[in-house]
Amino acid sequence: MAILPVYPFAAIVGQDKVKLALILNIIDPTIGGVLIRGEKGTAKTTAVRGLADILPVIEVVESCPFQLPNRDNGSVCGNCTGHPCFDHNPHDKPPTKKERKISVVELPLGATEDRLVGALNLEHALKTGEKKFEPGVLAQAHRGILYVDEVNLLDDHLVDVLLDSAAMGMNTVEREGVSFVHPARFTLVGTMNPEEGELRPQLLDRFGLCVNIEGIRDPHSRVEIMARRLRFDENPAQFVEDCYAESAEIATRIRLAQTQCAKVTAENSILELIASACLKLGVDGHRADIMTLKTSRAIAAYEGRTEVTPQDVAAAAELALPHRVRRAPFDSMATELVAEIRRALLDG
Amino acid sequence: MPQSRHSPHLYPFSAIVGQGSMKLALILNAINPSVGGVLIRGEKGTAKSTAVRALASLLPEIEVAADCPYSCNPNDTATLCDLCRSNGIVTQTRRVRVTELPLNATEEMVVGGLDFSASITDGIRIFQPGLMARANRGILYIDEVNLLSDHLVDIILDASASRENVVQREGISHRHPARFVLVGSMNPEEGELRPQLRDRFGLCVEVHGEHDVALRVEVLRRRDSFDRAPEAFCRQFARNDGILRQRICDARSALSSIEFPEHLFGVIAEVCVTHRAAGHRADVVIAHTAKALAAFEGRTEVAAEDLHRAAALALPHRAREPLARNEALPETLAYINPPPAAKPAGYPDDYPEEDPTHVSVSDSALAEKGLEPTQRPSRNPDCPEAIFETAPEFKVREIGQRRDKVFRQGSGRRSKTRTRQKKGRYVRSIARRLTDDVALDATIRAAAPHQLSRKTDNGLVVAIQSEDIREKVRETRIGNFLLFIVDASGSMGAKGRMVASKGAILSLLKDAYQKRDRVAMVSFRKQEAVVNLPPTSSIYLAGQLLKELPVGGKTPLAAGLRKGQSVLRNVLHKDPACRPILIVITDGRANESIGSGDPFWEALSAAKGIAADKRIKSIVVDAEEQGGFQYRFSVRLAKVLRAEYFQIKDLRADILLEIVRSGV
Repeated sequence: MAILPVYPFAAIVGQDKVKLALILNIIDPTIGGVLIRGEKGTAKTTAVRGLADILPVIEVVESCPFQLPNRDNGSVCGNCTGHPCFDHNPHDKPPTKKERKISVVELPLGATEDRLVGALNLEHALKTGEKKFEPGVLAQAHRGILYVDEVNLLDDHLVDVLLDSAAMGMNTVEREGVSFVHPARFTLVGTMNPEEGELRPQLLDRFGLCVNIEGIRDPHSRVEIMARRLRFDENPAQFVEDCYAESAEIATRIRLAQTQCAKVTAENSILELIASACLKLGVDGHRADIMTLKTSRAIAAYEGRTEVTPQDVAAAAELALPHRVRRAPFDSMATELVAEIRRALLDG
Repeated sequence: MPQSRHSPHLYPFSAIVGQGSMKLALILNAINPSVGGVLIRGEKGTAKSTAVRALASLLPEIEVAADCPYSCNPNDTATLCDLCRSNGIVTQTRRVRVTELPLNATEEMVVGGLDFSASITDGIRIFQPGLMARANRGILYIDEVNLLSDHLVDIILDASASRENVVQREGISHRHPARFVLVGSMNPEEGELRPQLRDRFGLCVEVHGEHDVALRVEVLRRRDSFDRAPEAFCRQFARNDGILRQRICDARSALSSIEFPEHLFGVIAEVCVTHRAAGHRADVVIAHTAKALAAFEGRTEVAAEDLHRAAALALPHRAREPLARNEALPETLAYINPPPAAKPAGYPDDYPEEDPTHVSVSDSALAEKGLEPTQRPSRNPDCPEAIFETAPEFKVREIGQRRDKVFRQGSGRRSKTRTRQKKGRYVRSIARRLTDDVALDATIRAAAPHQLSRKTDNGLVVAIQSEDIREKVRETRIGNFLLFIVDASGSMGAKGRMVASKGAILSLLKDAYQKRDRVAMVSFRKQEAVVNLPPTSSIYLAGQLLKELPVGGKTPLAAGLRKGQSVLRNVLHKDPACRPILIVITDGRANESIGSGDPFWEALSAAKGIAADKRIKSIVVDAEEQGGFQYRFSVRLAKVLRAEYFQIKDLRADILLEIVRSGV
């Protein structure tokens, strides 16, 4: 089956904040995802799908439904006898590993709960009378990216489940006669159009970063967008190839930043800067502080530096704080807020 | 079965910065399980889950019978389960287990049910233990307990109180011990827990983020070094954890010998009465908590001060006043943490810490600021057109349609409903056939006991006949449709009526937001009524529109009601199962008619038309200020509309409680 070429990430005009936010999440997956808020037709979905080009490679056990790196990491294998990787590999032989890119798993709006969390395997139950767990989307998304388009329209009880596992880093299933726990640490990427209704603050907080995306007003850029899209539609394969060098460069930078990220240091004054900015803005809880620090560190790494600067913090705060500031449910997430964040940071 | 952990290192309990009362409440429960659990209320990202998990690794290891599903205590022969009695015991020591209850758990997984594998292969009925069994002698942790199905919360609290799980289902009759420390956490922004359920938690603590830069930096620094090098970080705090563990062990063994002076019972009763605690559970909990406190601090006798500190943990959620943000018991709160001089030797440095009492101060200061706009006199009531300020928001009382047996589609959080769509939470199964939503697990369990007498020729092990088929009962909450009809005439501008009304509508909108309702808004003034906002789920839009709503002109009440009726008719036409709620906000002084009749009489006849449709629930909010001479037109309107009648102040959740209480 021929794979349709995807519009390359590198060829997206403008929307630098979205691109940066996605890249930072790949550099440090513990940042915890991005929420992209914006009107229709602003390359939200394109940006996420285009990621495939620049994603780094991970090592997984072949045919492991939980994408585990090797047998003993996480204790899921003890519960998981009966899955293919075990059938082909007796206990003493190491499982076959393979390398593949991080996967982007999509959760459709109409998904049912059993598909999301996993359920009793019907066929197995009827044929053998035994219980077996059939992994769902959350298992597929482990170590990858879970992409929810129009996340604000997702059914409430699914949102609850998503929240739960995103928070715990694992999926606990207690239903339909199966009880099962498996790791589910994923980067949650959601897009939404605020006109369709807002997300609950509790879910908002689970997204590490939040970007407000707007259509581009500059006529030249708009022309460029149209021109590129036309070229892509005419000959997708050629277009992707033209962008190859640029994509490869981003991929290399990400790989470098990944190894560098852990070495980036943050001075005490930086921590104080973050804490006082968060206090001034009146955020809920402490997750905002932690996310801002992680994001600043990833930014520094992406820029090839080994120390966090106040500018990194300002850039990180613009991504990590707007959706965490406590306010009435129907105050808009306005651009003034971003300005306020900058002020709070640079005055302190 | 071991719980899976992606890292063998848990954040150490003694490394948690601040949150003194939460830590204390957890420790007291660990010392004395009779305290009856903790409910942790608080905003996002305040180490709620971290603390619970850390507690488990802090507690001394326990001896259990290996492979026993109930984790029987080998040293306590009286409580052994049947399996352990018949098979003999191999003793094993392990960490106290935290059992997490996922929000989407089904009933039979929580209490346990028939093990169908065993039934099919061996033809015998075997009980398959559920979560309650796994939690025995451990900690049962429910994150977001306010989002859990009420039905499940009931079952769990019941078992927790009786310390035993009794199962009578699917041909199984079984009971087993279920002694666990129940810990629930919730974010009040997502909706409250029913008072009935709240009362079943022994203690309740409120957690907040730290408001001090130095402390925040410390939180950040510790979390950061934990994330980077968990092992080294845990080693650093191992000593403090060890000291705390020893104190808990000592306190446990000392607990039974703690003296409880007779006269202190009087003090408990007095405290409970002063704080208007409902029921007697509070008294018992305070006594248990005070004992644990005394034991924890190495004393041999309970002191009056212990009672006050215990009360600060046991009363907040039981006081009859509604539990507002930061509303604790000011006189007793100070007792939660003893002055630093009271620290016994060997106390880990950062425990306990000052409770951030200053939080409530700053918040109440804010509330005062928020009150300002009401005091501001509405300028120029005679001005033909004006846009008014908005009075502060408040928490709205429960408004919802009655639960019925109609199956409907949709999602939201206001009214509970049965749903026939294959979505919503699968709560249990029934034998009745209505839909094709087969509950596979229940079906196989129903078929399981008959397998030896049936045989299959299709290669399947399980023979299922039509009488075995079970269906899922799913429950979901749906949002309602709220239609606001707002009087924007000149008379509403007088005496701050519009200011108060806007405050009330905004509060209702906020409530609608939490319950994921759809809203629409019709306003009427001068000669006509307009649909300001067609049905939408964007509460934000509604709020914006309301803020900019101009006021002035005559009062065509009848036109407003007619317009509203046509909006409702369209909505009901699209979705006949919908149960809309109509909210009319007016002072009732109709003075503009559609035809030639009396304006008010016309309005009443329009109201009669709406009242004829029994699917619509109506509410009239009277904007007329209280005291002095009143026309009470709205009362008559409400009567004809068969609506509930409220004055703006009645909409407040707290005041309604007052009314109910004085009526009893």
